[in-house]
Amino acid sequence: MPLTYALLVLSAPASGHGNLTAARFARALLARGHHLQRVFFLDNGTLTGLATAITPQDEQSPLQQWVQLADEHQTELILCVSSALKRGLLDSTEAARYERPAATVHPAFELGGLGLLVESAQTADRLVTFG
Amino acid sequence: MNPVAEHSRKSILVVSRHAHPGSSLPRSALDTALAAAAFDQPVTLLFQGEGVLQLLPAQDARAAGVRNLRKVIDSLPLYDIETVYVDAAAATAFGVAPDTLPASTQWLDPAGIRALLISHDHVLGF
Amino acid sequence: MLLHTLGRSPAHNAFHDCLAALGPGDALLLLGDGVYAARVGSQAAALLAGSGASLFVLDADASLAGVRECLAPQVTLVDDDGFVALSERYSRHMAWY
Repeated sequence: MPLTYALLVLSAPASGHGNLTAARFARALLARGHHLQRVFFLDNGTLTGLATAITPQDEQSPLQQWVQLADEHQTELILCVSSALKRGLLDSTEAARYERPAATVHPAFELGGLGLLVESAQTADRLVTFG
Repeated sequence: MNPVAEHSRKSILVVSRHAHPGSSLPRSALDTALAAAAFDQPVTLLFQGEGVLQLLPAQDARAAGVRNLRKVIDSLPLYDIETVYVDAAAATAFGVAPDTLPASTQWLDPAGIRALLISHDHVLGF
Repeated sequence: MLLHTLGRSPAHNAFHDCLAALGPGDALLLLGDGVYAARVGSQAAALLAGSGASLFVLDADASLAGVRECLAPQVTLVDDDGFVALSERYSRHMAWY
């Protein structure tokens, strides 16, 4: 029976590879016919949405993995807005609001409040955390 | 946010296991618990491992220029988070004295911790 | 019952707290630095085996750490698909790290 999943990602893309593990888990659950409602990035996990990250050529880019997932499956990728702003992750609205020179968040991601994580906890059958 | 249907009030357990000057996770754990409470969702908070150090009294965050976590923890009852659970073994190991804890605190042994883990719909480990 | 994931080595508090919380009907998936607890002959593997929980290790991480060929007999290797399958069977997940 297909289940509705939500993922909480707390680990930064450049420390360890837990972030990539989460991206592979997302792909695997979709391949098994489940629904991925949302991926919520919180704390250092919000660094995943940084549009300007460059990964060495002999490594997989977490950013690219998530962006591909969003492109192929329209997966909702949410960066916790307070964690993101603190780390300099701004979309064009926030960049304009705070008068910063550029948006730094990749367009595959959206900023959103913790209410979205709470909503996922209410509506998803499975909430899997990657720390 | 969409109003959450009445029948789907799933309970959330937030487990906070890191010490706070060295990690931003404790703050994120508290923010998550507060957000759940703000949306009227049943939420329980457990401090475990080094996380119990967040409960040390006499924290003064002014010189550090960050949020005073103990003040946030002390304010939880205002947001209807009435009870805070603490891993008793960790509190003892890290020298967190029972008489310095907020009035809302309850100590738990391993069996009590396991009971918390299996009695909530979702568990979030921070 | 719970699916646990452990991402820290046996030297870390996370290992001991996870061990204390494991119940006989639970599953534990070792990933990240947690895979070192899967090594055959290690004290950590013996402690985990004594918990009665079903033990698994994530293939990619075990391979990366060089422990894939020396796993304790109680530990089963799973790939990403197997990880998802575990999450289907257990409605709650606790991440220890």
